[in-house]
Amino acid sequence: MELNKNEKISVLLIVLPILAIIFFFFYYCAGWNFFISLTDWKGFIPTYNLVGFRNYSSLLHDSIFWTSLKNNLLLIVIFVPGVILIGLIFAILIDQRVKGEGIFRTIYLLPFALSFVVTATLWTWMYSPRVGTINVLLEKLRLSSLKSGWITEPNIVMYCIITALIWQFAGYSVIIFLGGIRSIPESHTEAAKVDGASSFTLYTRIIIPQLTGSFMTGFIIFMCFAIKAFDFIWVLNKGGPGYTSHILGIAMYKETFVLDKYAYGAVYSTIIFLLSIVIIIPLLYLIHRREKLK
Amino acid sequence: MRIVKSRRIVLYIVLIAFAILMLLPLWSGIATAFKTSKEVILTTPITPPLHPTLTPLIESLDYIKKSLINSLVLVGSGVMVSCFFGSILAYVFSKRRFRGSITLFFLVVFCLYVPPQVQLIPLVRVTSRLGLHGNLGALVLLYMLFGTPMCTFIFKILYDEVPDSFIGAAKLDGAGTWTIYRQIILPLSVIPFIVAALLQVTIIWNDFIWGLILTSGEANLPVTVALANLKGSFVAKWNLQMAGALWVALPTLIIFIFLGKYVIRGYAGR
Repeated sequence: MELNKNEKISVLLIVLPILAIIFFFFYYCAGWNFFISLTDWKGFIPTYNLVGFRNYSSLLHDSIFWTSLKNNLLLIVIFVPGVILIGLIFAILIDQRVKGEGIFRTIYLLPFALSFVVTATLWTWMYSPRVGTINVLLEKLRLSSLKSGWITEPNIVMYCIITALIWQFAGYSVIIFLGGIRSIPESHTEAAKVDGASSFTLYTRIIIPQLTGSFMTGFIIFMCFAIKAFDFIWVLNKGGPGYTSHILGIAMYKETFVLDKYAYGAVYSTIIFLLSIVIIIPLLYLIHRREKLK
Repeated sequence: MRIVKSRRIVLYIVLIAFAILMLLPLWSGIATAFKTSKEVILTTPITPPLHPTLTPLIESLDYIKKSLINSLVLVGSGVMVSCFFGSILAYVFSKRRFRGSITLFFLVVFCLYVPPQVQLIPLVRVTSRLGLHGNLGALVLLYMLFGTPMCTFIFKILYDEVPDSFIGAAKLDGAGTWTIYRQIILPLSVIPFIVAALLQVTIIWNDFIWGLILTSGEANLPVTVALANLKGSFVAKWNLQMAGALWVALPTLIIFIFLGKYVIRGYAGR
């Protein structure tokens, strides 16, 4: 529907101010952040000098940066597929005309209702080496040999974190895939059943291939989380022991707000921004194409 | 027949086992929150409290009560504005399209995925320029604006389903853009208002990083930051920590348990 000139003016008068202020906070600030990363700004002193890409080259020689990047990659490689797989499996199980489906769905989703500060508090208690839930349970089950220092052990701390994050996001993943399964027209599955397909082939051949939309949604949401994560790890153990569970978000916070190296922190933010752009480009492409078709 | 039946039993065992696993951290938190410090040491973390006590809950409430009110203020002020902005933008992007409106919509959706770290450093400057740094006003302003892209997205999905002919008919009757919005679009928006509002409540209540950076002083903290401080100050007092966590968890747990079907629509729509 075309707008005439008067309509257009009345629309733009309302919409443009709202958009301007939102875009200021998202895009202008992102650009500003990049600019700060090219300076030697210390935060509490108002003056600064432009230093070009010097902060970026010192980043390349910073072992904390490489540890953090490696841990973000660990989240991408283990957390993202893990939470997608568990979501898919339990969505399929719930789809088997289960009695009390709503109860299971609600229980699975409960951890996702909680703030990362709450879940990090709960998991500190779970992982506490001396009196924590996991070690006490292992002892009661006569599995004391499996007891561990958990988040105090540099070698396994990231896996402990990933486990807890999968726990928190699993229900969300189930919801995404259950929605996908339920939106497949019944005629598709009925036809396969008439042909005598076993339920295994029904899922591998008919249902899972039609879930590309759900995979895509899950992939993008969990990837974005894997890149920007901060709260959970910060409250759990501040990225410790030492630097072993630092991720980019933690390193950025520490450089900027603990050590007051604002310009150096802005370099981390810029890298986090670039990584997330890479991930959302395919999504934006899809949305753009869908809008154009309308 | 027997194979089918035993398969069903295995199915339920797996589903229930997973449910227990999902509830375990929550349960061990709830059980511990009602125990005295002595009982915390003497019993296992999953044993129900034998002599339930309210002391940890009362003590932790005392520690976070000011921040509970702060978070309620943030939720109350943030939700309505972003829902209203979102609804207007979505209406224009869906029903009053003009040249360039697709690109603008595109830029709004992009905002949803911009990581918060990108704006943190500039925000410190902006809020201190506005004289808001350190106090609650900074967060009030930010939550209003930063919720808008998500609300726009939720409303747009619904408005796209309203047939264009509705609008066309009203236009023939001489209704202008904002009359159509008031008389046709708003009355259809009850469900998306609920969905977007519940989502915003959850997101603002649970948010941490902005409160951590942009507020200072006990009196201005949102509840998540107060809980993180409580956790840091009472390291070995597990019952106090769990009681604090329980207070912060309660509102969103209630929303997900009783209004879960609306919240799910918001998350599934993304």
